[in-house]
Amino acid sequence: MKKLRVLLVDDEIMIREGFKRLFDWEAHDCEVVGEAADGMEALAQIDTLKPDLAIMDINIPIMNGLKVIQLSRIKHPDMAFVIVSGYDDFSYCREALRLKITDYILKPVNYEEFGTCIDNLKIALFQHQSSQKEVQQEERTIHGITRYLQEHLAEEVSLSVLSDEFHLSAQYISQLFKSEIGVNFLAYLTNIRMEKAKQLLMSTSLSVAEISAQSGYSDYRVFTKVFKKSEGVTPSQYRRDFLEDVKNR
Amino acid sequence: MLRMEIALFLVIAFVAYIYFSAEKERSELHRTFSVLLVVVLFHLVFDGVTVYTVNHLETVPRFLNDTFHRLFIGTMILIFFLFYRYIAILVEGETGKAGRLNQAAGIYLVIAELGDLLLPIHYAVTEQGNYSDGIHMIFCYISVAFYFILGAGLFLKNRKEIHRKEKMAIGIAMLVELVVTTLQGINHTWLISGMGITLITLAFYLILENPDILRAELTEQKMSMLYLKSQVNPHFLYNTLDTIRIQAQLNDDKKVAELLMRLVDFFRLSVKVDRSLVSLDDEIELLEAYMELMCYRYPELQCAYDIDPDLGGVPVPNFILQPIVENSLLHGLKNKGYRGKVTISVQKKDSHCMEICVCDTGSGFAQDKKAAIDEMLRSYAKQAPKLTGNSIGILNVQKRIKLLCGREYGLWYTENENGGVTAHILLPVEEKSK
Repeated sequence: MKKLRVLLVDDEIMIREGFKRLFDWEAHDCEVVGEAADGMEALAQIDTLKPDLAIMDINIPIMNGLKVIQLSRIKHPDMAFVIVSGYDDFSYCREALRLKITDYILKPVNYEEFGTCIDNLKIALFQHQSSQKEVQQEERTIHGITRYLQEHLAEEVSLSVLSDEFHLSAQYISQLFKSEIGVNFLAYLTNIRMEKAKQLLMSTSLSVAEISAQSGYSDYRVFTKVFKKSEGVTPSQYRRDFLEDVKNR
Repeated sequence: MLRMEIALFLVIAFVAYIYFSAEKERSELHRTFSVLLVVVLFHLVFDGVTVYTVNHLETVPRFLNDTFHRLFIGTMILIFFLFYRYIAILVEGETGKAGRLNQAAGIYLVIAELGDLLLPIHYAVTEQGNYSDGIHMIFCYISVAFYFILGAGLFLKNRKEIHRKEKMAIGIAMLVELVVTTLQGINHTWLISGMGITLITLAFYLILENPDILRAELTEQKMSMLYLKSQVNPHFLYNTLDTIRIQAQLNDDKKVAELLMRLVDFFRLSVKVDRSLVSLDDEIELLEAYMELMCYRYPELQCAYDIDPDLGGVPVPNFILQPIVENSLLHGLKNKGYRGKVTISVQKKDSHCMEICVCDTGSGFAQDKKAAIDEMLRSYAKQAPKLTGNSIGILNVQKRIKLLCGREYGLWYTENENGGVTAHILLPVEEKSK
């Protein structure tokens, strides 16, 4: 897993400084390769640096962030974008979603939550790659593990359970996650559990407590908290937004 | 004729009583009107007295007759001056331009009052009754005409910028002034000046100085002030707070950064005032932000939630929980030095409604307070909209629940067995079809 190369785009120096210094890029296998303070600069930086990911503010001078994403998409279709905006405005959100951005986070940015967002991005990249690439020996192990997790996520799964199942040391499995996907085991597990929960929320009318159990959380309060932290809204709100969105379409 | 003066006096006295007992803004306009009311009352007394004395020239000493006559005319000139001032202030308020004739009006007032004091009075005796004439009377007519022309000029010059209501009041005043003065000029024995003055005063009172209108204006003004206060550009607020938070975190002050984060959350959620209904989740989130900040300020304060997760999407009236919890803190737990616990629970009662309970371990209701609050919440519709005081929050919550959800829902309080009170809110559950 190579390091993710990140471009920071925000017109406020303090916001960029905060991202640079307060988020542990190293621990997340990332590297800030450049910064931009306006839309034009951002476009130029994207062309020269070819980053894997840009952290974008929407309200920036000269050209707004959404326009930058739209234009960059033409030349760099695989590039990921995370929008960071103070605009708690659904119309922006809509437009952003149409541009297929990776995530949309609201200011003020909680750097821990931002870590989850980076982890999710890596997991998505991993899943995308594994569906395309031919699998090598070592990757087969990780794919076996992830498949196992997918099938057993309603149960109590831990590194020791995996260790028994695959006859590998817990430490080795932990390292495998780090090196193959770039995230730790727990982040991966939480991610797929949340994906499962979202899918259930959208496709079934099961109660939140039932969905919580099926996603591997015996206590729905814990589930609600984790969900809120990762999605920004509570499970019931998520379902409501989804239903409203379907109705409006 | 004396009977008319008495009736007019009673009418104005009644108006004055209502006017002075009403709550109003302290503006120059209202001050002028207050002075006007008092002067009119005095004037009507002198008017009545003069009507009597002028018709008993033989029995009342000449000196007394003259004194009352001068007081009568003096207050009349003052009234017409005040009418002019009132109109001038109205026009100034509407156009924003300061009147240039105010000084002239003031100087003329002094001259007119001096003339009233010094000029000789002559009484005409006729079959129909007696009246005064000669230079003193002519001078009085000139004064009235002077202020009439000033007022009319001001009115005509600015008529396009004056609102309909003010226009009507000034128009009626001008018309009455003109008709009454003309009639009095033709029939000297009619002595109807008091009636004219009363009519003009009433016109101003009924159209512009009515206490109900004033109170409504006052309320509206305060409301818009409150509204404006919350109109600091929210983006500026979040962005600045966020910058400060990042700086705090760069300085390794995690706690400050965290608190600022919660403050931003609180502001962000509480400025959603444009929506009357929000989801229960939003309400709870706002409450959590508020409680976390309060618990930080008062470390011995505790907070617990017990919320049915399936109710999170239920629409509830905006901003109902925070005022109730704030009430529990300020009236219950504050007296215990903010030592205690607030428990918020939301549970379904049946398929149509849910109950939110805010239970505190505070000092409970003071004696008789419970009955007063029960009564206030029961007769919520009769309560005038209050803008100050402790119960504004809960009354407001009650009103909005009744308005937005229906009369069968609402807020009430019970006392806990082991101290403290519980606020109960009954709300409908209309979860959208899945």
